Amino acid sequence: MSKQAMIFENSLTLTPVKIAKTAFWLALSSLAAQSALAQGVIGSSEASNTLVQEYCVECHNLEDYSGGVAFDLMDLGHVDQEPEVWEEAINKLRGRLMPPAGQPQPAQSEVDALVGYLETSIDTSAQTQHIGHVPIQRLNRTEFATTVKGLIGVDIDAEQILPSEIEVEGFDNIANALGSSPSFLEQYIAATRLVATQAVGTPLPKYANVFHELPDRNIGFAGGSSAARNHVDGFPLGTRGGMSFTHFFPADGEYRFNILDIDAGLYPRGMETAATMVILVDGVEVNRVEIGGPEDLAIATRDGVVGGDVILAKLAGLSANVEVGTHEVIVTFIERSWGASNNATGNGRVTGMPRIGLGVEVEGPYEPRGLSLSESRERIFICQPSELAEERSCAEDIAQNLATKAFRRPVGAEDLEWLMPFYETGRAEEGGFDSGVIELVTAILSSPDFLYRSLKIVTEEPRDLNDLELASRLSFFLWSQGPDEELIALAADGQLSNPATMEAQVSRMLTDPRARALVENFALAWLNLDELGAVEPSDRGFNNGMRTNYETEIRLFLASVLLEERSVHELLTADWTFLNDSLANQYGISGVLGSQFRRVTLEDENRWGLLGKGATLLRTSYGDRTSPVLRGAWVLDRIMGTPPAPPPPNVEVDLSIREGDIPTTVRARLEEHRGNPTCMACHGLIDPPGLALENFDVTGRWRDIDPLANATIDASTVLTSGKKLNGPVELRNHLLSREDQLPTTITKRLMMYALNREIEYFDMPQVRKIVRAAAENNYTFASIITQIVNNEVFRQQGPEEHENAIASTEIGVRSQFP
Amino acid sequence: MATFLTKKHLSRRTLLRSGAVGLGLPFLDAMVPAGTALAQVEAMPKKRAGFFYLPHGTIMNNTPFGKEVDAWTSSGSGDNFQLGHILEPMDPLKKYLTTFENIENTAAGGSVHTLNPATWLSCVRPGSGSTPELATTLDQVIAQQLGQETALPSLELATETTIQVAAGNGGFYAVTTSFSAPNKPLPMEFNPRKVFIQLMGPYDTEAERETILRKNSSILDMIADRTQALRKDLGPGDRALLSDYLDTVREIERRVQIAGERDMTGVDVPAAPVGQFEDFDEQIKMMFDLIALAYQADLTRIATLVMAAEGTDRTYEQVDVAGGFHPTSHHTNDPARIADLTRIQRYHMDHFARFVQKLADTPDGDGSILDHSMFLYGSNMGNSNQHDNYPLPEILVGGASGAMQGGQNIILPERTPLANVHLTILDRLGIPQESFGNSTGIISEV
Repeated sequence: MSKQAMIFENSLTLTPVKIAKTAFWLALSSLAAQSALAQGVIGSSEASNTLVQEYCVECHNLEDYSGGVAFDLMDLGHVDQEPEVWEEAINKLRGRLMPPAGQPQPAQSEVDALVGYLETSIDTSAQTQHIGHVPIQRLNRTEFATTVKGLIGVDIDAEQILPSEIEVEGFDNIANALGSSPSFLEQYIAATRLVATQAVGTPLPKYANVFHELPDRNIGFAGGSSAARNHVDGFPLGTRGGMSFTHFFPADGEYRFNILDIDAGLYPRGMETAATMVILVDGVEVNRVEIGGPEDLAIATRDGVVGGDVILAKLAGLSANVEVGTHEVIVTFIERSWGASNNATGNGRVTGMPRIGLGVEVEGPYEPRGLSLSESRERIFICQPSELAEERSCAEDIAQNLATKAFRRPVGAEDLEWLMPFYETGRAEEGGFDSGVIELVTAILSSPDFLYRSLKIVTEEPRDLNDLELASRLSFFLWSQGPDEELIALAADGQLSNPATMEAQVSRMLTDPRARALVENFALAWLNLDELGAVEPSDRGFNNGMRTNYETEIRLFLASVLLEERSVHELLTADWTFLNDSLANQYGISGVLGSQFRRVTLEDENRWGLLGKGATLLRTSYGDRTSPVLRGAWVLDRIMGTPPAPPPPNVEVDLSIREGDIPTTVRARLEEHRGNPTCMACHGLIDPPGLALENFDVTGRWRDIDPLANATIDASTVLTSGKKLNGPVELRNHLLSREDQLPTTITKRLMMYALNREIEYFDMPQVRKIVRAAAENNYTFASIITQIVNNEVFRQQGPEEHENAIASTEIGVRSQFP
Repeated sequence: MATFLTKKHLSRRTLLRSGAVGLGLPFLDAMVPAGTALAQVEAMPKKRAGFFYLPHGTIMNNTPFGKEVDAWTSSGSGDNFQLGHILEPMDPLKKYLTTFENIENTAAGGSVHTLNPATWLSCVRPGSGSTPELATTLDQVIAQQLGQETALPSLELATETTIQVAAGNGGFYAVTTSFSAPNKPLPMEFNPRKVFIQLMGPYDTEAERETILRKNSSILDMIADRTQALRKDLGPGDRALLSDYLDTVREIERRVQIAGERDMTGVDVPAAPVGQFEDFDEQIKMMFDLIALAYQADLTRIATLVMAAEGTDRTYEQVDVAGGFHPTSHHTNDPARIADLTRIQRYHMDHFARFVQKLADTPDGDGSILDHSMFLYGSNMGNSNQHDNYPLPEILVGGASGAMQGGQNIILPERTPLANVHLTILDRLGIPQESFGNSTGIISEV
């Protein structure tokens, strides 16, 4: 049977009942259709069928069966019967991934009409409604650190004390991937003990010597870097250079600071000028010392290494009294007037000045004097026993208070029964009551009641989450930690599930500093901008300081769009950013002075939005050259939400200039390989958006000339649709030409992040519903979040998929140490 | 012994502590290979196994220049055993070395980078669902047999993060070479400080160690109880997830028990590293040193090291390669870039050879640790320019307590499954199996 005949037969099989049903769907669809209509025309089943026959069936038919799909067997009148296939088709069409580049292409209006028809057909059918199941999940290491900070005010670096989590599409909070390995559990138990000890303090502290390494040696040394001469962002005004670190002081007492290197060695440039070094603890000066100048220079010069040691001895054992707790320590120098310098040497340029090398040691405590009231102790010790008889009941109050917050549920006598023995064990030690509380805190944080978030009560049908469950889900979504007192109170009153309350809580929570977690854990992961260290530019002018600038800029920028009631479109169009002097210089912008970041309006349109940010451009490059392929794939995947297929095996993929070749532009080398039709099929799609960004070099600087090839940069490009573009501005406009595309991408990713599971085809009707509703609020990030948290998909728990559940039970049982 | 005990677990813990082996207890059943008497295991020499993974293949007879640039393939045996250029650092130890030709791994086929790490030691095609679905990898099969007497059944290490854009930016099958069960990928640790603490414990003094071990025992009891309690009211899938957690808890209980009995006399313990080294030389050396320490102190007998991450863009200025490893691995048949890549591959072999030499110099029973070891060093890719998986570079190193001949290059039939090497390793370690992954039989020449 020919393909045509088969199609004909398919359309003949439409019975009157089916036709009536189709009409019913179309009527139902009118509401959902409105926004699609705003984008263009919604196709009919007939027009859609014609388009699919014309452009898709050539490969996707029963005989060729490309990609395992045969559209000639599928009925465009019954799209809702195979939503999985059609959702895939919608995605391919929206990204114009299909038909493949180089093949005949339908007009954009035809594509829009088909997409509109498919989406409307699925969204308006009762058959496609399905609520997914979120399995039990443990806190990931970031959530652990954030929660502990919120709970008892202890700052820990989760990456240093817990193993890496497995990421799914960049997110490390996906329930299925959060397994438990022995390394995790072992490190976890050690971490809870560490945290408990830091929170309570050490009743019988032992002397310790802790070394804090200079974060980046470039910053410390004047030679080769200006950083030691300049003010460090966040340090008190009027200081220059230095380093900061957080240090846990285990008890009240005397501590001594040792500066391990000040550049007073064999060529003691650091001693050329006099300076005042100050040590600050939580912003308060605790010690100062004069260093450098003619006398020290003479000692160092005359006595060489021995002289250097004499000078360093002045910087050893700098004493300060510090109270228990984790404090920020800054070691820096007081800025001075160089014009009035009486001791600058050389030809008038001042380059030599004391600067910190290696790092700082903290020793102590000497003569500990017990534990005063730190922030952490204030939160934990809601009572203080004044006599022995009060201790037990006070400890119970402490346990109840902390466990209620930690377990995200009411805590009763039956919980105290298993918690209090830990207190008793510690109480029996030399440290007394404090030791008892350390054991208590350790036990609370170690227990699975804290570590695991579970949705109990199993039902066959989707069920509404109760208020407490909703409070947890909301709080982990927006703050990466458990609910605060206000949320718990609302939940306890049964108020939280009210949609208006939820909306008000979203507003409150987004203005809270804790909402920065959305930038840090959601946005940077979504955009793959969380690991800028992965690219090491061969450009010698680029250093870690600039990388840090990029990291700061992108965080401030993302927060300014996402957390300030702005349309998510502004991620691409915002005409502002955040710069300091060196970053402004990198971007070729003048008039920005000083090391602190401030908001700057960008006159150059090419710099607007994410496509003009150093972080984006660096992350999508190789160290030694730009990559239109990486950049194009990034745009398709992260912005359009329509990732291209990964490269097939057995293809040669490299564009580096070969030895002996005359250097050509990356573009020229790419075009050479796109001449091959096999390559063209994917690269005709991937490369064009990347080529439009070729004016940005590896480190994000603007360039008109490719210095290697000595050729003018050509940023013009042709998309698969045949549309022509030139440069970042036109690319940006194109990406926003379908106004719901970027919001759809963000909604899918946000839902994945919020629900801790991958987004499946059956979630797409809800995704589109959320996007349509957010459209009425100009697609602000807050409106997307509000729509998500008030959607069934967020407020309900679906039944377990039985087949899978049973299979995984078997695996779990069989696989353990056979 | 003053120990905090809960009544419920008294019997189990007492058993553990007294060393009595109650095979009837369900969890002990799961810990000890069925039918293996512990005493019998102890009487045998302590066999070590190690797996050393290099991404992006090697330069061998897989370029248009053929044998002219082949830096890998060896030939002959015994005195006539000639090593390829990359393998030269192993020359002093070549009697311990077995090289192969014509190995293929179809399980990774077509994945470009994303499946290479996890299929190297599984030789099974992973599932495509949203939950991990592979097989217990070779190292873990061995750990579950030979690793039960040490504090750590196995160590899984990397020299850098295994989340790399070119390898899919994460994902179950790219981030690890080790699965302890078909659905349990194990994280690869790249922070030497954490590895050190994992090996030595976070204690300053013996007294402190004793106190913390004792306290952790009670914590573990509590976790087990609470996990059981939480299982109520959950569906079967969620209950299975918590069962996994419970198994993990029991594994840690076992370690706490063994850690209480450890003896570090005669072991030279290095100073604790403060974190990841910026200098890659120091970083990779430290990882090898930590594995050597773990073998020597018998803290583990099975180790896996990802020597560079799949898809890494790390540059190797130490050997004068300015481009990243991954971009360079696409050498486009350019002789200069092939030479760059060869230098990177040789660099890793240099470090490995130093490690092997160290083990050859460390006495262990009637010989050296190397005499009782069996290491697999290799890649899951052949020609990195094309991402193919045939032929693969793989070598076996060690004395395997006399079970391995060594000193030879074995020319296998074309397209011999990598799983045959794995099956042979299992056999030589005394864990014979019918098959492994897609194996077709043992390589008898080994």
